[in-house]
Amino acid sequence: MLKARDVSFAYTRGNATAPRVLDRVSLDVNRGSIVGLLGPNGSGKTTLLRVLAGILPPLAGRVLIDERPIERLTRRDLARRIAVVPQETHTTFDFTVIDMVLMGRYPHLGAFALEDARDQEIAREALAATGTAALEARAFASLSGGEKQRVVIASALAQASEMLLLDEPTAALDLAYQFEIAALLRHLNAGRGSTMVVSTHDLNFAAAVCDRLVLLKDGRVIGEGSIEETLTAASIQVLYGVEADVQFHPRAGHLTVVPIGHSH
Amino acid sequence: MATLPPRVRCARAAVALVTMAVAIATTSAGTWAAATAETPQRIVSLIPAATEMLFAMGAGQRIAGVSNYDRFPPEVDKLPRVGGLLDPNVERLLSLKPDLVIVYDTQTDLKRQLERADIPMFRYVHRGLPDILETMRALGDRIGAKSAADAAATRIEHELAAIRAHVAGRPRPKTLLVFGREQGTLRHINASGGYGFLHDLLELAGGSDVLGDLRQQSVDMSTEMILARAPEVILELHYGESLKSARIEAERLVWNSLAAVPAVKNNRVHLLVGDEFVVPGPRIVLAAGRFARALHPERY
Amino acid sequence: MATHTDTLVGFPPRASIRRRLAFTIGGFGALAIAACLLAPLVGSTRVHLGAVFDRSIPYADNIDAQIFFVARLPRVLAAALVGSALALSGVVFQALLRNPLASPDTLGVSAGASLGAIIAITFDLDVSLFGVTAVPLAGFAGSLGALAIVYGLSAARRRGTSAVVLLLGGVTLHILLSAVIAFVQYLADFTQTFRNVRWLMGSLDVAAYGPIAAALVPMGIAWTGFATLPRVLDLISIGSESAAARGVSVDRAERVALVSASLATGAAVSLAGPVSFVGIIVPHLVRLVVGADHRLVLPASALFGSAFLIGCDLVARTIVAPLELPVGIVTAILGGPVFLWLLFRRA
Repeated sequence: MLKARDVSFAYTRGNATAPRVLDRVSLDVNRGSIVGLLGPNGSGKTTLLRVLAGILPPLAGRVLIDERPIERLTRRDLARRIAVVPQETHTTFDFTVIDMVLMGRYPHLGAFALEDARDQEIAREALAATGTAALEARAFASLSGGEKQRVVIASALAQASEMLLLDEPTAALDLAYQFEIAALLRHLNAGRGSTMVVSTHDLNFAAAVCDRLVLLKDGRVIGEGSIEETLTAASIQVLYGVEADVQFHPRAGHLTVVPIGHSH
Repeated sequence: MATLPPRVRCARAAVALVTMAVAIATTSAGTWAAATAETPQRIVSLIPAATEMLFAMGAGQRIAGVSNYDRFPPEVDKLPRVGGLLDPNVERLLSLKPDLVIVYDTQTDLKRQLERADIPMFRYVHRGLPDILETMRALGDRIGAKSAADAAATRIEHELAAIRAHVAGRPRPKTLLVFGREQGTLRHINASGGYGFLHDLLELAGGSDVLGDLRQQSVDMSTEMILARAPEVILELHYGESLKSARIEAERLVWNSLAAVPAVKNNRVHLLVGDEFVVPGPRIVLAAGRFARALHPERY
Repeated sequence: MATHTDTLVGFPPRASIRRRLAFTIGGFGALAIAACLLAPLVGSTRVHLGAVFDRSIPYADNIDAQIFFVARLPRVLAAALVGSALALSGVVFQALLRNPLASPDTLGVSAGASLGAIIAITFDLDVSLFGVTAVPLAGFAGSLGALAIVYGLSAARRRGTSAVVLLLGGVTLHILLSAVIAFVQYLADFTQTFRNVRWLMGSLDVAAYGPIAAALVPMGIAWTGFATLPRVLDLISIGSESAAARGVSVDRAERVALVSASLATGAAVSLAGPVSFVGIIVPHLVRLVVGADHRLVLPASALFGSAFLIGCDLVARTIVAPLELPVGIVTAILGGPVFLWLLFRRA
């Protein structure tokens, strides 16, 4: 569904020799799958998500959605197909939860149309899907970290897009919330068929949620494939410089990673 | 009588001579010191009105420095400038080695510095019309030109009285005395509020200050107030650089938007340009005369 | 653990946006209209309404009519325009800078207008253009100069930079321009300083319709910009990148916001001088009533801003009758405590 071909990016600012944050990255995201972008901090995961979402234009290479280059689509068109869940959301003003979710309808409504009953329904469904329906009238700023993240996911769902890009969805969350989000994502994928690209540096989260992984280091793809193919002690060694034990955990139902020690 | 031996006669003469010399020296030194205290020769005046007063009492050549805002008489152009009310240049002032400095009473920092430098001061206070003449006489007394100052002050009093007499008995038109406003519009009008030397001159010249009941040096007027008070004459003062006549006419026409004001209806809006309106000194006679001509043209 | 398919708890659904918009415009609109109709009837002088509209009295003799049509009505119209312009600019700057304490003064556009006016007063400039006299003309030119600098700053921003750069640059410009103003004041003599100080306190006593008509030109341009912004400001205020991901042209929207708010501020300050606090209080008071949605906050602020400034001016011209307070003093006395309260609330 979504393809990247030899995408390169640098924050040039007029500087022609600025270091590349992304260097000839290619990947494929099939419809209905959950693909993880895994790598240490600074590997270019967030930048790659922004390029995939069309927020940043690549220096070189192309991004295609359903075989069409994304530059051919208008911003709103693209937004109707791809929704982004950022890592953190800071609100300057005191929006309520339902306010936040209704903003997800913008790609369908534009600057001047007012949302109607159908839009309200979609918003409420999105809240229900993320288990936050009871928070509808609450002020967003008063929610806990996990609740906020679920509301932001709801507002992305309200965009009614086929695809969701999530940037480190559990980075700022407690363990319990990490579980919640992981379960939520799998549920949305199974129930709605949402295609997802999730960037994360959390190995166990990646194992719990994703079908396939793209391993990123220093802006380059160093591995790509199914979880079993990519999540190995060897690749973890290369990515993080850490010796780890990778085992299938029967109770968890997926691979788990236990870091053992530093390797050089 | 036996004559004293020549040596003794010489000695006595020498002592007498020396005594006389010392006596003359000390007396003249004392006189000189007294003369300096009573007749300062290096006066610095920070106040244009005081400068004009000094010239009027014939002490112009004793002025060593003036303020940045002095413009009259023409002789001041050659004199060194030492700043003004808000920004006196103390270094420059001291370098002139003054033996009397005329300062505003409100210039506390400057006064303190002059006290420390042991320089005599004359404190000037700015109030109403009677105070101008009183200040003139006091200043004359201070600098040892008492008779000249008295004569000048008396002359001014007579001239003012003459103006008052000339317009006596005439009905007093309600007058709005405008000190300033924003150029080209009727915004931020600042007018006399019934207190101060210009107000006194206005009343002397046969006018009735339309805001006289407020008893304030100056008032910010709104157009509503002007319409409500309905002045019969508007006198607008301009000073500083002289205005071109085209500009004067244009500024006068600005008042036409208040057509219901009697002064506008009857074409009695006058723009008066001149420094005599800002300097409460000897030229107030000129100011009073111009007011009188504007208020009672039939008398001139 | 949380379920993923909660049943909808029976919340009374909030009224639809259409309904809320209708109530907002209806309610605040009624307030603004009432202010515009009642304010010219009140003042330090008793005016006989019959005489005002009596055509048989020749206009040149009709003091009541002149008080109403020359002294009061332009004043109320100016207050309505300036109040609405400052309130709208305040809302837009707060969203643009992602800072609820931002105001029309923050980026230096207001200081640019003040500098232009002060120069015109101090050096007694004598120019006029399109019926606009020297001081407001120079003021507006000054505001355009400041806008050009801030716009240049924002255009030079590389992609992805936050509003912090704009904020810092604008605040620096404001401080710089204030220093230049102080310098020009230093050059001024006593009378000029007095006039400068009075101008800086603000005044709505325009006494003519020409300056108001002239101010409508840049304000009209600003309004066409403002009309495109409400929903977009909502999205941008949550984050430029999420706004971009939802289809907003963030750079373009921010430029429209900057130019519109600056034009409105420049026109307002040139017309009436810098009137403090309107641009910061009105948006916050309005948000207490209508919430944070800019589609409600913008129109409500425009209408409430008008009513608010008309009210402040009414107080300014009646409370110490026959004298008047500068309107900026009334807004400051009201605004200062409210601003402090807002600060404490956020802390």
